[in-house]
Amino acid sequence: MRGYRALARISAKNALTYRLEFAFALFGVLFQFVALLAVWRVLLADSTTGTGFTWPQMRGYLLVAFASGAVVGLFADFRMSFRIRSGLVALDLIKPVRYQEARFAEVLGGVWIEVLVVLLVGGVTVLVAGAPTWPGGAELALFTASMVLLIPLKFLVVYLCGLASFWTQNYVGVQWARIAIVNLFSGALVPLAYLPGWLASVAAWSPFAGMTSTPGLILIGRATGAQAAFLVAVQLGWVVVLWFGAKLLWRTAVRQLTVNGG
Amino acid sequence: MVRLYFRFLGLHLRALLEYQSDFWVMAAATVLIQVVNLVFLSAVFARIPTLRGWSFWAVVAMFALMAIAEGVGSFFFEGTWRLSESINQGSLDYALVRPYPVVLQVTSAEIGINGLTNIITGGAMLATALAHLDVRWSVGLVLLAVVLPVCAVMIKVSVNLATNSISFWLAGPSPLFAMAVHQVGELARYPLSIFPTALKATLGLVVPFAFITTFPLGFLLGTGSSPWLGLLTPLVAAYCVALALVAFSRGLRRYESAGN
Repeated sequence: MRGYRALARISAKNALTYRLEFAFALFGVLFQFVALLAVWRVLLADSTTGTGFTWPQMRGYLLVAFASGAVVGLFADFRMSFRIRSGLVALDLIKPVRYQEARFAEVLGGVWIEVLVVLLVGGVTVLVAGAPTWPGGAELALFTASMVLLIPLKFLVVYLCGLASFWTQNYVGVQWARIAIVNLFSGALVPLAYLPGWLASVAAWSPFAGMTSTPGLILIGRATGAQAAFLVAVQLGWVVVLWFGAKLLWRTAVRQLTVNGG
Repeated sequence: MVRLYFRFLGLHLRALLEYQSDFWVMAAATVLIQVVNLVFLSAVFARIPTLRGWSFWAVVAMFALMAIAEGVGSFFFEGTWRLSESINQGSLDYALVRPYPVVLQVTSAEIGINGLTNIITGGAMLATALAHLDVRWSVGLVLLAVVLPVCAVMIKVSVNLATNSISFWLAGPSPLFAMAVHQVGELARYPLSIFPTALKATLGLVVPFAFITTFPLGFLLGTGSSPWLGLLTPLVAAYCVALALVAFSRGLRRYESAGN
């Protein structure tokens, strides 16, 4: 346990030392957030149908999408991919810690800084555009649980893509594909209800739904009571499945490794 | 001089194609990004006919123009993004002693294969969008439909060069400032009129990305509050190119290698 704590501490120090890199890495997500806010503000103002989201609801939802994009940032996966491709991963392999748990500890070490950034951006949004709708009682608890689950869930998706570096030299391509798929299937670009029926149900059952749709819908009150609890249960299920799935994949992946020289 | 430039690029291309699976990963990723964009736009426009006067196909054309501009930047001028590293490491020395313009050596120092797929998918999107849009084509308009996108691409490429030239002053190993400005392009894919005033001013004047998408297309389609602004695109492009070249040569005069 002490080893993991040390890794977490180092990763936080890393983020604080290279704070410019850390901040600039969040710029892409931030600009996407601003663009989507502007698009939906106009769309919802011009929209005549009453079935869709209201503007305050959409603000809250997009803020969750931003939070989901900001946590477990680019730092973790680029570093992992670089160490695998350069062979430095050999040093990780001889350390007396388990690989997946060690990477998760590093992510947890830096996550509080990202949460602070999210709170800052959220605060500014509330100041500029007004407070979002806020759920009460049981839903608030479920929302919190869903946001907490978001962290291991996103870590696992990022980690699984990082393992692809054992097979390809081109991590940037993998990362772009991951961001595109997660953006669509998590509902971060457009709430799943707006997608065509079949695509919406595929996305709702995919692990990605837990990365924006589930916490977002609970926050704005479009998923309540038993339905909300069910969505969080699905999210938890995916965290468990992906955690052990990643362990299985790791066993195959690490056999691909060839490190030249010493 | 141009022939040599393409020979440099050809060398990098050959090196790149050695790693075939990497090429396919990159190609698939860029196509996937555009597919997701199209799904997003069609989901949004299924509920609503126009976004501040811009139809679905008009916004697809904007996304396409941005993809083409970024694609040309990656495919022909990817080396621009390596400038900060070569300043930081002092490897710009090599370029200084060769009898070929330094700026061209820098921009041809790398090739981004994602640029090729971006140009192709962007081109296909733009062609489809223009076929669906109601444009009253005349000889003059066809000519402008060629000139304005070319100028738009020049704006993107020269903003890349100008922002990367800041590395001569900042001296860090990675082009953080240029990356941040590049991300502003995320906003420029949407019609300018949806943004609050401060962002309009930023995209129209400070980082003139609106001249890559909103203004040239606004002129071709007769959409937006002042379509005539699109005619300024060549002027803005000339200004950006000049600014980028001046920034680069000023910066180059500051370059003092990294020592041993």
